[in-house]
Formats: sequence, structure tokens, C-alpha cells
Amino acid sequence: MAAPEDSSQPHLAPGCRWAAEKTAGAEETRVILFPEGAIKLQGTGRQVLERCDGVRTFAEIIAELQAQFKEADSEKIRGDISTFLEQLQKKRIVDY
Amino acid sequence: MIPNPLALIAEITHRCPLHCVYCSNPLELASAASELSTQEWLDIFQQAGKLGMLHAHFTGGEPLARHDLTELVAGARAAGLYTNLITSGIGLAETRLKALVEAGLDHIQISFQDSREVPANWIAGAKAHAHKIELSRIIRQYKIAFTVNLVIHRQNIDHLDEMIAFIEQLAPERMEIAHTQYYGWALKNRAALLPTRGQVDTAVEIVATAEKRLAGRIRIDSVVPDYYARFPKACMGGWGRRLILINPAGKVLPCHAAEVIPGMTFENIRQHTLKYIWQESPSFQKFRGEQWMPQPCRTCDQRSVDFGGCRCQAFLLAGDAAATDPACSLAPAHQIIESALHALNSDTAASKPVAASSMVQLQQVEKLWSYRTNPE
Repeated sequence: MAAPEDSSQPHLAPGCRWAAEKTAGAEETRVILFPEGAIKLQGTGRQVLERCDGVRTFAEIIAELQAQFKEADSEKIRGDISTFLEQLQKKRIVDY
Repeated sequence: MIPNPLALIAEITHRCPLHCVYCSNPLELASAASELSTQEWLDIFQQAGKLGMLHAHFTGGEPLARHDLTELVAGARAAGLYTNLITSGIGLAETRLKALVEAGLDHIQISFQDSREVPANWIAGAKAHAHKIELSRIIRQYKIAFTVNLVIHRQNIDHLDEMIAFIEQLAPERMEIAHTQYYGWALKNRAALLPTRGQVDTAVEIVATAEKRLAGRIRIDSVVPDYYARFPKACMGGWGRRLILINPAGKVLPCHAAEVIPGMTFENIRQHTLKYIWQESPSFQKFRGEQWMPQPCRTCDQRSVDFGGCRCQAFLLAGDAAATDPACSLAPAHQIIESALHALNSDTAASKPVAASSMVQLQQVEKLWSYRTNPE
């Protein structure tokens, strides 16, 4: 498998899901549960995965984050998100 | 401040239709009459959720032997837990699987004993292999995570690549290649199960090659053979650091085998809360942290990585639960592991797998090992 393409529609893999939010105090952090583990997400990582809904394409997700972080290098945003999703795909947490 | 436990291993029954010779259950199994009730388990899941635990692993014995399993899974989900069913699949028809998925089952893990039917059934002591294949096809029609687990040992390790290809066809998200861990029934049968160093080295290479080939399709998690390792395994991620196991009769343990350690009293969930047991009970504090550690652990750089290894293995092999795990190459008792391995690796006849192609032939070598029995 390779990096996501522009037309890929990333989504959480079977059996991977967001944990129900537990306390009001932990708004910044959300957790994805998967077989034998969990990852805590905040900041950009959380924003990327919340957009991996199986509807948005990879290109749309990139465009939304580039629009949000106008001051950052747009090619770097694309590269970072691509690597991030590819790593999660290898762990079978994300599919695209 | 003691961090929250992360996962609950719910050993809901010791009854099992299989009799696997490497079973990690204790030799003394909990009786059916002593099992916790539905309501008691539902209350445990609520307590676990409130303690901040994330996962509930339903295991046994065979969890499907409990008729209230669907209700228990629903209860664990309602308490906010991720639910995993570790099963042989015996007793699971599609209607029941559908009900479990609707109750909120997140992940199912099926164990296979081999890729070949005759030896698979021989190791399980039951005719289970064909049903598991059929069930795996049905599972893929549902949106849950699917793991295939394969326990490897001397009798099957020589065709590991064939077994990996077999699992690949079942199309799980994950496969677990687990070297046998020598507790319970596996320790009793160790002489027939322990692989040679050459077999282990080859197996490690085969797994590494498969990981590359399957990357992005199937994730491989390996359980390493600690007898051949330089440092011991971080058993359970450390005593009382991450995991809680509750046995069918409500005994709360830091791991699968802890009951073998003499002189220890483990609390029962019928008498105490999970929070008390985790935070305050003497049993969970006994080997938590570093205070209990002997040398060479106490000043070793590895102590925050492997926590001194496994307390049960230290007792089972060295006779002292507070000793450095004999699997560690630095352990004073490492000689015990070395002599077991030396005997095996220098006797070429003894180290060969049993060659047999039919159940009749295999039954003739049955005295090779003891099958796991069933509780009363």
C-alpha cells in the first residue's frame, strides 16, 4: 500500500472508533480506540482524523487544513498529513 | 498517584470445548458453579469504566460457553469500554454473531492451531478447524475488527510461512504470531512444545519478511519467545501497572498465572471494589514499582523497560517470585533456562516435530502431552 491519493476517502478502519467523551475538562484531547490499544489526539492530528469520515477526499482534507493554517508551508502540510495517514494505515487504524 | 488501569481481562468462564496443549489457563480451573453472575459482571464493567479503563477483553476458557455473553458485551459497551472477544468460535453461528455485533462488539479474535486440519485438531484436542474457517468468512461480512491468532511451537513452527499464507486468505486486519508462553498447561507440556534456536531464528526472519509484504493490508503483532531472548518480557506491562484480570470466580489478579505464587492472597470482587483492589490491595502493590526488586534489576537500565520480567515465571522456574526472571541473561537463575535449552538443542531426535499425517498416527503419540481438561 502507498500514500493516499487525492481522490482517496480516508476513514477509520473496521473496529476503530472514537471513545465517547468522558469529562468536560478534557475538551482538547480525544481518544481513538482500536484492537489492543488507544491513541490520544489533540491539535492538528485530531483535526485531520475528525475529517476522515469516508466522505471527504484526501484533497479536500488537505485544502481545509491549508486554509486553516495559511501561514504554514502548504506543501509541508500535505506531506505531513500524507505521512501521518500512511502510518495509521499500516497500523490498520485508518483505511483509504 | 497510581495511574488508571487500561484494560480488563474478563475471564468469564473456564469451560471450553477445546483442550489446547498450550493453554495458558491455570491447571486448577474455576468450577462452573463458582462463576460470577450476569449482574456481577455488569457491575464490574461499570466500575471499570469509572476507573478510566478503556478495553474489555472477553476470554476464558471459551467465552461463548456463557449464554449471557451478548448481554455482557452490551453492558461493557454501555460502560464506555472497547469490547474484544477472544474465542475459538465454537458455539458461534451467524445469528449469535449478528446479535453480538448489534450489542456493540468491536473486535473479534479467533485462534487457529495450524493451517493444516489434522494437526490443528490434534493440538486443540477437538474437531474445530473447519468451523473456524467457515466462521472467518462470515465475520468478514460484518463491520468489526478481525484478528487471527496463531500460537507457534515446535510442532508447527517449521511451516510458519504456510500458516501465514493461510491466515492471509482469511483477510483479517491483524494477525498475532505468538510464541508459546510457558505457564499452566504449556509449562506442563514444554518438552513437546519448546522450539530449537534454529527454528526460532528462522521464524523471526519469516515474520519480518511477511510484515514487509503485508504492510498496509495486515498488521502483524508478534509475541516473542522469551527463553531465547537477552532480556525478559515486560510481562503484562509490569505488575499492577496497566492490566487487571478477573477470573470466572471473581478473583482479581494482575495476570493470568499469578495464583501459582504461594503465600499470596488475591481479593475477590464479591468482597471489594475494583478501585480498592487496584489502588490499595496488598496483592496489587506487592510487585508494583521498584522497591521489591533484587539485584541485578534494582540498578539495571532495563528495569523501567521490562520491570524485572515475569513474577510467575520467576516462581515457576527459580522458586522465588521476587527473583529476577530467569529468562533474563543477567539473572542469577538464568542457568535454569540455559540447561533446558541446552538439552533440547543438543538432542536432534528429541527436537524434531512429530511427523504424522493422520489422526490415527497422531493419537498413537498422545502420551507426548497432557490435554487441557475442563472444570467441574
